[in-house]
Amino acid sequence: MGGKVTCTLGEVKNRGDFIIYWGGNPAECHPRHFTKYALMPKSKFLPNGRKDRTVVLVDIRPTKSAKAADIFLQVRPGKDFELITILRAMIKDQKISAEAVAETGVTLEQCTDLVARMKKAKFGCVFFGMGLSMTRGKHMNSAALLTLAAEMNAFTKFVAMPMRGHGNVTGADVVMRWQTGYPFGITFNRGYPRYNPGEFSTVDVLVRGDADAAFIIGADPGATMPQPAIDHLARIPTIVLDPHITHTSKLSRVHITTAVAGISAPGTAYRMDEIPLPLKPALKSPYPTDEEVVRRIKESIAKKPFWMPDGAQMIAAQV
Amino acid sequence: MLRITGGKVYDPANGIDGEVRELCVSDGKFVSAVESGRTIDATGMIVFPGGVDVHTHVAGGAINFARAMTPEDHRRTQAFIRSQTRRSGLGGMAPTTFATGYLYAGMGWTTVNEAAVPVLSARHTHEELGDIPIVDKSTLVLMANNEIVLDLLENGEYERAKNIVAWYIWAAKSYGVKAVNPGGVAAWKWGKDAKQLTSSIEGYSKLTPGDIILQLARICDDLGLPHPMHLHCNNLGAPGNISTTLDTLQHLEGHRAHIAHSQYHAYGGDDWDEMRSETAQLAEYFNTHPNITTDAGAVLFGDTVTITADGPWQHLLYKLTGRKWGNLDIENETGCGIVPYTYRPSNLVNAIQWSVGLELLLLIKNPWQVFLSTDHPNGGCFWRYPEIIQLLMCADFRKECLKKLPDKIKQRITLPEIVREYTLYEIATAMSAGPARALGLHQKGNLGVGCDADVVIYEHDDDVARMFGHPRYVIKGGEVVIEEGEIRATPDGREFIIKPHYDPGTEQFLQPLFEDCYTMAFENYPVEMERLENPDIRDCVPNL
Ligand SMILES: [Zn+2]
Repeated sequence: MGGKVTCTLGEVKNRGDFIIYWGGNPAECHPRHFTKYALMPKSKFLPNGRKDRTVVLVDIRPTKSAKAADIFLQVRPGKDFELITILRAMIKDQKISAEAVAETGVTLEQCTDLVARMKKAKFGCVFFGMGLSMTRGKHMNSAALLTLAAEMNAFTKFVAMPMRGHGNVTGADVVMRWQTGYPFGITFNRGYPRYNPGEFSTVDVLVRGDADAAFIIGADPGATMPQPAIDHLARIPTIVLDPHITHTSKLSRVHITTAVAGISAPGTAYRMDEIPLPLKPALKSPYPTDEEVVRRIKESIAKKPFWMPDGAQMIAAQV
Repeated sequence: MLRITGGKVYDPANGIDGEVRELCVSDGKFVSAVESGRTIDATGMIVFPGGVDVHTHVAGGAINFARAMTPEDHRRTQAFIRSQTRRSGLGGMAPTTFATGYLYAGMGWTTVNEAAVPVLSARHTHEELGDIPIVDKSTLVLMANNEIVLDLLENGEYERAKNIVAWYIWAAKSYGVKAVNPGGVAAWKWGKDAKQLTSSIEGYSKLTPGDIILQLARICDDLGLPHPMHLHCNNLGAPGNISTTLDTLQHLEGHRAHIAHSQYHAYGGDDWDEMRSETAQLAEYFNTHPNITTDAGAVLFGDTVTITADGPWQHLLYKLTGRKWGNLDIENETGCGIVPYTYRPSNLVNAIQWSVGLELLLLIKNPWQVFLSTDHPNGGCFWRYPEIIQLLMCADFRKECLKKLPDKIKQRITLPEIVREYTLYEIATAMSAGPARALGLHQKGNLGVGCDADVVIYEHDDDVARMFGHPRYVIKGGEVVIEEGEIRATPDGREFIIKPHYDPGTEQFLQPLFEDCYTMAFENYPVEMERLENPDIRDCVPNL
């Protein structure tokens, strides 16, 4: 069951005649999303642009994005999962209880209308933001929404896409996956990748005090992580690579200023739909790039004695 | 420099069938003699050219999507432990990049063709290929559902379409053209499919899948691509699809083509209950048409994850299995679907599929026309190829396996009547010399002087699967990379690309069309040459 049914942003631009934003505020968080991809563009299939699209916003309060939507549904905080589950039942004409609907803060009429519109769409797309994926029941919520989109394909074309944050978070996720099989929360302490978010995620490792050194590139955990994690970063040798002096730099032993990716350092960034974009620097920087610094550190480490004992090259099956 | 002495050499490209020969290597290539260097005494051993995989999915957005969907497999599978010179990784259904190189080389394969690359994410594919060590690589770009190309074909603008295909190949830094379910993936963007070769495609007034097939095959031939159009036919996996497949072959009108994973395209019967093998008909077509080649896309029982650009088929598979479903439609170009799958001998459909793959390999007479593949990971993982070799070489073993299949299968397959057993010479052809020639990689799959010194040396073993699964030595570009079951070196592989000729006005024509339907800046779209770690531009001479 479930899975992930999605597309690149150009498909939404070209075909998306029914757009749902769920728990996100693109008007403020992804300001170009409306104009470049989801609302305004005209295309071969949507020659009148915005007029050919219906836009729904589902959120716990009317944000700035509500003004851009045709329909705003105000869900009670923490009731996203329930609302999604009701919609999943309704698309399959299953019975639902009026009480369950009432608890979500959205009326039965609104749900019925939404389901009818979803089914009538030629190409539906639901974007979900932090408001959905970072609240109570976080990944259950996203999984339920992805399943709703998958199930909608029994009636019409429907896709779902997370609205990811800033920077190149997607790129890190993509590269870790091809090198290790996993997106994050990985340990190499047995010499091969193992995955357990909640155990091996950076914040967990720091809070437990399991790390004896930290190497931080393009992130500022000193500003965002819980205090015990920050305290541990201050205790151990922490090295920061960043174009700016960050909160983390201030508690680190070493800060190395690097060139800004995309402005004075080349590379690749992955868009939220995992399409790679080349970064073509316009300026020269007096500072080295992250890549160059990492390479030089790696070369120095390679000169030291290797830390792992000699042993088997591989294990046939993990226990 | 390296000398390999005393081994029985199987080199189909030069007609050498088990003769004791000496091979000499210098600067990564075979030479007629060497003065010094290491000598490998291969007396009593079997010497093959390194394996060439004509159709696999090992790098890029689709397999990386599959990795994201299968963490439970990563947890249980084979793990490669890092060393000072070697990266760690995981094997399994969708191996990580470094492990992919170790696993291919570990069984003697030294060249792989990644068969499905969207141009829009080609930069990603190349980044992954750069992280696959040891083996050399080539890629094919997806063209049969590219709406800009389809619009031109609909309007009869053949020359423009040809120029644009050439431009796309170079923009992607790719090696050839892949056609997946022509028209069907474009129709899938509206939730539809294209099952009839002569019916117009959803969204088009007259363009049919048959038109796309013929025109793309002609474009590939006219551009002089070293590898012909690589075609995944319409109606994959569906009972009764043999008629579509034969119809497709007739649409080629004598053009060259490589038919991908024909196992999935050789079924009779009107529905799943009535499904049967129709390999005799399909094999007969190949036996009488030497201009086309194919790879088996054989199925092996067990767990895997299926990945294809054929979005509508994956939606059907999701509905049939109720398992996880991944789908990624790519603007203007193509789609991709992912569904984990388990082939079971007790399942009649799966048992027929298992049989069909082997039947095609055995009924197509010329091993230069049918190659070893599982359409990795679709029919099974590539690291299980030795199991297929055993099935091809041992009729008794096949009989044993047949006993485990449902009784109902008897009237539906022809495998029990086939007595043919592959010889070592034929295996060397189907796993190396044949696919290398079909890919137009003349320096591969060939132990002749001047060719790339990619060699695999086996110690004779009555257990065929064990012998092919555990070569004694693997040599890539003259370097010993595997020796006695250990990885000894992990050199970088090369990437073969081509630059087909296109009219200089092509970009100017394309840019406004591009800006209408894409969301990337036109100048950012082509992959820069610097993005490829070891590019090797091969010749591509247009047929005027
Ligand atoms: Zn394939």
